[in-house]
Amino acid sequence: MEQQQWVLSSPTLGIVFVGASFVIFYLIGWYSQKRAKIATDYWTAGRSIGAVTNGLGMASSYMSLATFMGVTALILNLKVPFVYMWIQFSLSIPLITLWYGAPLRRLGAFTPAQFVRERYGLSTSYITVLFMILVMVMYALGQMIGVAKVFEMLFGFNYSISLICGGALIVGYVTIGGMYGTSYNAAFQMILMGIAFVIPLGAIMKAMGGTGWYFPPLLYSDMVPAMLEAVPDFFDMKYGFKWYLALIPCFTIGAMGLPHLGMRVYTASNLKSARNAMFWFTFFCGIVFSATYTMGFSGVFFQATSGQAIAPTDFDKITLILNSVYNPAWVLAFVIAGAIAAGLSTISANLMAIGAMIAQDIIATIKPNLPDKTMKIIGYAAIAGGGAASILIALDPPTFLVVSILWAFGLAGVTVAPAAILGVWWKPANRYGAFTSILVSGLVYILVSPYIFPDIVISTGLQAKVGMSGSLFCVPLSFFLLTTVSMITERIPSLMMRIPVEQDKMLVDKVHGWSEYSDERYNSTTAGIIIAAVSLFFCIYAVLPGGWA
Amino acid sequence: MNSAYKKEIRYTLIFSVLLLICGHLGLFFVAFPSLQNHMVFGFPSQYIIPVLMGWLGLMVVVWFQAKLSNDLDDEIEEYSGSTENVG
Repeated sequence: MEQQQWVLSSPTLGIVFVGASFVIFYLIGWYSQKRAKIATDYWTAGRSIGAVTNGLGMASSYMSLATFMGVTALILNLKVPFVYMWIQFSLSIPLITLWYGAPLRRLGAFTPAQFVRERYGLSTSYITVLFMILVMVMYALGQMIGVAKVFEMLFGFNYSISLICGGALIVGYVTIGGMYGTSYNAAFQMILMGIAFVIPLGAIMKAMGGTGWYFPPLLYSDMVPAMLEAVPDFFDMKYGFKWYLALIPCFTIGAMGLPHLGMRVYTASNLKSARNAMFWFTFFCGIVFSATYTMGFSGVFFQATSGQAIAPTDFDKITLILNSVYNPAWVLAFVIAGAIAAGLSTISANLMAIGAMIAQDIIATIKPNLPDKTMKIIGYAAIAGGGAASILIALDPPTFLVVSILWAFGLAGVTVAPAAILGVWWKPANRYGAFTSILVSGLVYILVSPYIFPDIVISTGLQAKVGMSGSLFCVPLSFFLLTTVSMITERIPSLMMRIPVEQDKMLVDKVHGWSEYSDERYNSTTAGIIIAAVSLFFCIYAVLPGGWA
Repeated sequence: MNSAYKKEIRYTLIFSVLLLICGHLGLFFVAFPSLQNHMVFGFPSQYIIPVLMGWLGLMVVVWFQAKLSNDLDDEIEEYSGSTENVG
């Protein structure tokens, strides 16, 4: 089969659609930001965002450029196992809200790092912030690379110029808009990308002969027999139990540690609104995620049945390729605008998180009495600086679009989620335990990745590259260290005298909404022992050979 | 210990399990291979059931989660007279 390289034949329409969408993003950002009265409004949108808008925003910060590009590429490579990897991402916001989003919203936090500071002290919060910034930069990096690739296709510039122009446009609108602009833009972008993804997909299915084209996310079963004939292993599960189990620590718990998702809960007008928003989040996510699987399915179907092979380097352009083959040029232009909107919504959420951590968790902690005006300027500078750093790193990018983002999930799961979860739910968790757990398990996760010392890994292949094998070991390690170090140090009075134990414990009751402190709540030693034992079991299970294939 | 506290712990654990089931049904199909390759709505079972549960099943669980957690908040607030923001 001859492989064909795909390029955009007529870029003018694409430029018009993308240009128009950028004008709208800037206008929304500029008008929304006018509502920010004080510096903290810039980070939380005055805690005024309603349930549907917030649900759209939550979903859009998940609908990254990967939805249009990386995911369909990986379905082409991995086939159905990648679908299982993607399905569980919808659990993130419901789990964050359930385990610590609502308590942190009660605390009035800007980022999870702020809770870490209040609960575990300054030193631990600085390490957390450093890991979180690393996670967010890696996350934003993948999006920057993707946007640059789309600009490259669209304008015909070389990669570096596309990256710098596209990156500057994005950083500009995020900096101007703050969280108000980001939230309203994200809601608009979610609608734009949803329409740009799902409706053209229906036309593609119709052209391919699918009778369920009027609801692409689910109605393509009539194409299944032809698919099974052309690609008999498409629905094979391929991997072993350990591979599917590792999805939980790496991506489910990992997503719980992502600060930009947690921040969506803090922007809600109240807790009830935040919880209602997660219903809308699952609804919108479900539509686009399911349509993504259909797009991946259609890509594999197209490659197997049309006689036209797609070059591996073009796998991440499959959405654009299918649209260029089956739809008119103006539809392809609209899809490109949707793809860029998807990248933008995620980058803007990443940059907001980076900015909030630099401005609120580092600078405002070191210099707590800075005037509001100065804090506003620092906010703008923090976002612009974070964006510039992402652009510079993306100039020499990793080879595959999605991998670095997925690996970053695991790092968030190792360094943020256990400390936040136990900090909210288990009073004996103390500053020594949290410091040790975050630092040691974070460093071990980096060490066992194939990127540092390729010979020191928990497993090899895809599960090592995307951080699944590392997370299967390091997330339980983090829980184990936090519980055991806390329980041991709790029995050493000289160490306990150095930290404000009572104050830390009282915070736990407060974030749950209890006005009076009770030692009986969230204080079980048995729970700590069970968590430590279960975690140790999974650490051992992770390093045992086999189980992945 | 009051009932609202016990309810809070119970809800958190139950909903965590339900959410994990909705999002990780692939585990059941790989653990019990005999569940695979039955056609459901024209798709292999190991594909369409996780896809449907990860969307529509999840929406049902999340709706109950939101409703019961909101009711519980009212109960805790009533018990302790707390305000929403403690920051």
